[in-house]
Amino acid sequence: MAMNNILSALCAIPGDAGRWLQGRAAALWRFAAADHPYVFLSGSALSLAAALTYVFSQRYGFFLSRTALVWIALALCGAFCLAALAALASKLRLKRRYRAKSRFCAPAARRAARYGSYVIWAVAALVVADRLHVLCQVVREVMAMDSNPSPFFQAMVYMFYNSRALFLRGLWTTLRLAFFGTIFGFLLAVGLVFLRIQTPTKRDRDHVKFIKILCSRFAALYATVIRGTPMMLQAFIIYYAGFGLFTSHTDLTITEINSVWSFFIAGLTTVSLNSAAYLSEVLRGGVESIDAGQTEAARSLGMSPWMTMMKVVFPQALKNSIPAIGNEMIINIKDSSVLNCIGVVELMYAATSVAGIYYKNLPNYVSAAIIYLIMTCCISALLNKLSARLSLNTYRGVPSSN
Amino acid sequence: MEPILSIHGLEKSFGPLKVLKGIDLDVQKGEVVCIIGASGSGKSTLLRCLNLLEEPDGGHIWFGGQDLTDLYADLDGLRQRIGMVFQSFNLFNNKNVLDNCTLAPISVKHIPRAQAEETAVRHLKAVGLEDFIHADSRRLSGGQKQRVAIARALCMEPEIMLFDEPTSALDPEIVGEVLDVMKALAKEGMTMVVVTHEMAFAKEVSDRVVFMDQGVILEQGAPAEVFGNPKEARTREFLSRYLEDKGV
Repeated sequence: MAMNNILSALCAIPGDAGRWLQGRAAALWRFAAADHPYVFLSGSALSLAAALTYVFSQRYGFFLSRTALVWIALALCGAFCLAALAALASKLRLKRRYRAKSRFCAPAARRAARYGSYVIWAVAALVVADRLHVLCQVVREVMAMDSNPSPFFQAMVYMFYNSRALFLRGLWTTLRLAFFGTIFGFLLAVGLVFLRIQTPTKRDRDHVKFIKILCSRFAALYATVIRGTPMMLQAFIIYYAGFGLFTSHTDLTITEINSVWSFFIAGLTTVSLNSAAYLSEVLRGGVESIDAGQTEAARSLGMSPWMTMMKVVFPQALKNSIPAIGNEMIINIKDSSVLNCIGVVELMYAATSVAGIYYKNLPNYVSAAIIYLIMTCCISALLNKLSARLSLNTYRGVPSSN
Repeated sequence: MEPILSIHGLEKSFGPLKVLKGIDLDVQKGEVVCIIGASGSGKSTLLRCLNLLEEPDGGHIWFGGQDLTDLYADLDGLRQRIGMVFQSFNLFNNKNVLDNCTLAPISVKHIPRAQAEETAVRHLKAVGLEDFIHADSRRLSGGQKQRVAIARALCMEPEIMLFDEPTSALDPEIVGEVLDVMKALAKEGMTMVVVTHEMAFAKEVSDRVVFMDQGVILEQGAPAEVFGNPKEARTREFLSRYLEDKGV
């Protein structure tokens, strides 16, 4: 009856979300009703996990605080584990003939084991719900406190809650740095890769050869320097170089300079220039991985090198490089943390500041780590969905023109 | 009559290996020349030198009154008049069949899209692919891809077509499709230079057969002469092995 209630509730949700939920619920129902191997093993492992959670918890919620319920659950889990041990003994005795001969593998026994596993899953679900309940209680208590509690988790929640404005500001800055940094870096990388792939041919006139060599050497040098120095150092150099340019060439006051060449703008410039170097190498790899036959066919039709690149080679190279560009954005989310050294108020800076306010380092850094992790996971998932939509995940095999 | 393509003393080396050791060849308008020979004899290199995909190290190639080997020749312009079909098809992967055929006319000759598409559809019909006009070029079979490649080359209305082992990558059942297209093209009077291992095709369709060995043209002449009465020992050796295998 509970299942029917749930299903009818799900049917009430309109549109795509409702259908997706129904689909998932139906799939789950089918999974639960089907016959699987390793029921005893998974059930025992789960009941052991639940028992350990009970033993090592310092605080109990609605379920674990009722000793009667706990005893019943323990008895059920114990019974299941004993049955599992008996099955294990049978397996060790019969070895290869276990599947055929053991009483534990008869259909009735398997069904009984499956029903037993439902009970174990229910107990485990109750333990998890209990823990979540306790978690919510703790968080609510901490939010009502007015001084920093000493237990680790409470301290973390207290400091995050009380300085949430700063953390959120840092989070927003990090996202902007990563997003716009990658985009500007990509645009610069497209220019750099065109410079990099210039090769002088026998038929070029001398000045054209000279310009081509200059362009490709410059692009190679740029990539080498940026990839060979740490980003933190690049951030310092770019900030102070920019500041120096402003002071020497204009007569703005320091406040005025800071409003134009702010820490954020300097940080964004650093991320962009850094990404440009890495992305130019990625794009160059993409271009060079395109089968030479494509270029030959295009040139044979009378297309100029520029037209060949723009209409045939580069579109394919870009499409092949999109996963790497998404990867670069995720890397930038993390690498933007070094910008806290030049004063950009991003997530790392926020964590350090809050740690300085409360004189407690570890809980704040753990909070920041959790937020970084959530960000990277979310953006990873989004990028996977995007590339699936652009059908980039289809199996290509070996790229070729055949 | 003035030959449409004239090759004098062509030489090409890849590092220390000299692949072409002085080739002299004239191709008349409307003639079908088949180049045969063992692997490594320089046939494909010769063909690729004809539209300058490989830069020759010596010699001259005269086409349409201009020397292609001249450093200041307008290669792109000359290549518009030479069509090439490759062994591995080389269709543009990011375009469908119609766009493959219309890309060059639209971007190089600046022909309006409607007219270019009309020409492309006409050529695709001629090679038997009117059902595949909007197909993705990666989803075709080998024979279909090669026929699209031929139609694509023809859409630029070239004066001469070069075929670099067009059927070598195809399975024997499909080879016939492509050869039929090439036979029809020859019948229409297109000048063709074909590097091939298909001896039956060479015998049936070509006006002249050229046998190459180790970078030189060993023997050339009408197919009846070269196949029926080869003068050089090497030619006889090569043909005997082929004629045995293929039962020609």
